[in-house]
This record gives sequence, C-alpha cells and structure tokens, in this order.
Amino acid sequence: MRDLLHALTEALGLLASGDPEVAAIIGRSLAISGAATLLATAAGVPLGYLLARGRFRGRTLVLALVNTGMGLPPVVVGLVVWLVLARTGPLGGLGILYTRRAMVIAQFIIATPLVVGVTAAAVQALPEELPELLRSLGAGRLRTVWLVSREAQLGLLAAVMAGFGGVISEVGASMTVGGNLRDSTRVLTTAIVTTTGRGEVAAALALGLILLLLAFVVNLALTLIQQRRGA
Amino acid sequence: MQARISALRVARGGRVVLDVDELELPSGSTTAVFGPNGSGKTTLLRALAGLEPAARRAIAFGEPGASSDRVSVGLAFQRPVFLRGSVRANLGLGLELRGVVPVERAARIVEVARECGVAHLLERNARELSAGEAQRVNLARALALRAPLTLLDEPLAGLDHGARTALLFDLPRLLGTFATTTVVVTHDREEAFRLAERLVVVVNGRVRTAGAKAEVYRRPPDTETATLLGYTVLPTPAGDVAVPPGGLRVGCGTPGWTLRIERVADLGNHEHLLGTIAGHAVDLRLPRGAIAPAAGTDVEVNAAECVALRASGGN
Repeated sequence: MRDLLHALTEALGLLASGDPEVAAIIGRSLAISGAATLLATAAGVPLGYLLARGRFRGRTLVLALVNTGMGLPPVVVGLVVWLVLARTGPLGGLGILYTRRAMVIAQFIIATPLVVGVTAAAVQALPEELPELLRSLGAGRLRTVWLVSREAQLGLLAAVMAGFGGVISEVGASMTVGGNLRDSTRVLTTAIVTTTGRGEVAAALALGLILLLLAFVVNLALTLIQQRRGA
Repeated sequence: MQARISALRVARGGRVVLDVDELELPSGSTTAVFGPNGSGKTTLLRALAGLEPAARRAIAFGEPGASSDRVSVGLAFQRPVFLRGSVRANLGLGLELRGVVPVERAARIVEVARECGVAHLLERNARELSAGEAQRVNLARALALRAPLTLLDEPLAGLDHGARTALLFDLPRLLGTFATTTVVVTHDREEAFRLAERLVVVVNGRVRTAGAKAEVYRRPPDTETATLLGYTVLPTPAGDVAVPPGGLRVGCGTPGWTLRIERVADLGNHEHLLGTIAGHAVDLRLPRGAIAPAAGTDVEVNAAECVALRASGGN
C-alpha cells in the first residue's frame, strides 16, 4: 500500500513537471487513435446502418461476424497487419511498417467492428416504420438516412466512444506494427509497457493515469454532446 | 385524385399476400379497406403509398391518359411513430420536406393542430403523449400535408373507449376539411361504415367485394364477407343464407330454425339469447320486456329478411 502511495506521489510529480517527451507521447496517442476512430466512424456508421436496415442474404451471419469482431484481440490484429505490411508481405512495398500509419491501420481494424456493431444496435432500436414514415413525408433516400442517423445519434456517439475507447487503450497492435520507437511510434500504452519493464513503476503509473485522464476527457466531451442532444 | 389498380400482386417470402385484379378509388371518395387481421389490407395501403416497389406499375393515379405511377400521399401508420422533438416539429417535418415556406408552415401546423384537437400539445415532447393524444397527432401529421391521397391505417387502434368514440366522431369532419381521396384501413365494421362511403372487403389477400357501402352491404357475395359485415350465416335446404344483424326473431316462420339456448345475457335494458343453430353460434337480441326462455331449452326462430349466399366463398 505504501509503495502504491509512493508511486502515486511520484506520478503526480512527473505530471506536474511537464516533461516534453511525455507531452509528445500524449499528442501521438491522441493523433493515432483519433485518426483511427474517425476513419472507423466514416466506414462503420454507414455499414452499421446497412446491416440494421438492409434485407439481404447472409445478413445475420455478417452481424454475427461483426459482433465477434467487437472482441478482436489487438495483438492478433497487430500480427496480421504486421504480416501484410512486412517486407515479404503483400503490401510490403509500401514500406510503412513501424510507422504511425501502420498503427492507424491496425487501430482502424480494431475500432471498425465496434463502431459497426454499436451503430447497428442503435439503428435497430429505432421504430421499424421510421424510414418509411420519412419517405412518405417526402424525404429522399439521403435525407432519410440523415434523419434516421439523427434519431440514432445517442447510439452513434456511443459507437464513436466504443471505438475510441477500444483503440486508445490497446497495446498489442501498437507494439507489433509500431515497434514502440522512441520519438516516432511510442504511444502511452507502449510507453507504459517499456517503463514497467525498466522497473520505473512510478513513471509507468503516471503514464497510466494520463491515459485514463485522456480517455475520460474525450469521453466526457462526447457524453456532454450526447446528453445535451438527447435531452 | 383517382387511383386505379390493375393486376397488383405482392408476395412476401414466396407467399402471395395481396392479389388484386382490378380496383378503382374514385376521386374525392373515402374508401374503407375492411377485412380481418392479416388479410392484406395494410399491404394494399402500402402499395398505394408507394412503399411496395414491386407494386408501382400496377397502380395509376390521376385521370386516364394523364396518369402517373406516383402521387404525394399523407400516410398515417397504425403505430404512431415520432421523431425526437416537439409535436410542432413533428407536424412541420412533412411540410418542410415538401418545401412549404416557414410562414405558411407555421400557419398550417396551427390550423391542423386546432382542428385535430391537439393545439394545446404543440410544445410537448412528441414521445411523451398518451395513446389518444399520439393517435391524434399521428393523424394531424398526415392531414397537415393536404395530400391528394390520404391513407390511414387503423386510425383508432389502441384507443380506449372514450378516446375512440371522440375521434370516430371527429374523423369525418377532419377528412372533409383536409383530405380529398381517402383510404382508411380497418378491421372494425363500425369504423368502416362510419367513416367511408365505399367499402373494399379483403380476405386472404383477395378483394371479395368492392363498391358503394349500401351495395356491398346488401349483397355479401360469400359466407366470410357476410360474417365480416355482421350477418349471421345459417343453413337452409336451399343453401346458406345471411341474416342481417337484428334479423332473427323468436317464433315460427320461413326460413326458420331451432335455436338451442346456451346462455341468456342480461345487458341491462334488454336480453340476448346466446346459443347455436346446427352448430353455428347465434346471438339473438330479445325485444325489451320480452320474457327470455331458460338456458338449455330449444326455441323456434325465423328471419324476417335474409340474403342467399353462393355455395362457397372461393379464394
């Protein structure tokens, strides 16, 4: 208990010192996970809508696959992306392994099923007649999708939060495809692993606290938007 | 707006749920599509609303020679579904989507809300209305459009007795004010007769009879239609006949039957004999003051008027 308190004190001290390296790691984590979440939202929301409202053969199977994908182990995703991007892999020619781009790709793969799954559930929770009602009132196809999405926005924001939460906290994929290179691909989670490995418990705990704080701030902002619009 | 349907077939999961050879809805008329649950009534309404893509080519709107396969409709689904927001916003959405300018939109919302008795609800959250209020707002949203074709699916569904009676009283006036050609889907005989001047009876996805209400009522073509219209169908040596409501009376006559009384129901100011004639359930209202025979006895009954039916309802 005493050790924990000691570590916490050190952690707060480290936070207060405003270490430039820590600031760079925070910025990198936000940029990579933010980009992956944005891309996953752009792809996942329309896909989730289609899965919820579409009537096509194999829909249930796809939904089951998406729901399985919501629990994808990041380290497995990292491994597959690593195999694809490695010099001998099909996309090895791109030469992006151990870069932030590779990390965005891996995190996009982790976040997308989360966004699709939560979106599909949110859209399915709406009254079945809603799209037809909107069409009968005079809405075109795009306007209908827009209005239905607006109705589902509480769920859609939850989808974005799920996606961001899934990637900001993952370590396996970032480590595998990013390589945890100092000044280049080191993010909060991989930095925690490194510092813990070095036995710098207080620093690791400080980074953990920052990670939690970051996730809290982003989710607080999204929750505020969600609850205000839902009122 | 006149509508003509020809060779309309709608299938779901390989099963034909609606098969209409010919049907015409005259311009300015109010038609009740009447039939039991699951008979295809709502599918017919959806086809008219353009929500059954396969049915589009089977329906022509407007005068012959200048007809179109699409028309602007004011549709009220059976279940009132609202978007998040106030009643005012929900009433205005259709008008906004149809490009009605804000000033006119505001005036039309106020007018339709006043006429439909929901003016006091305009600022309320549309998702926090009682069943009766929601059904009226649902109706007002469809009527606000003043569309050439108004389509109402079970507009009195889910209402308690008081709210239903009040809305049933108001509906003809509202349709007269805001609607022109109207189609009302209902499984309730009273609603069909109270609201419409024309009837279309649909059973098992087929139109059994259609036309002016009195005509349809006078000539039920088959047993199922006669039963739906409230007739009691009874056998005679010459075939089945349909006896209109209140047409059975105690006493000998032709045609006549023996009624086995199972129960006497006291409804306050008069009594009903409930029993069977050759296996058919019969409900005979006794005149006020008449002395009811005891349950378990047989009495002779006859029909003052009846309609001969075809041998089979067909399909």
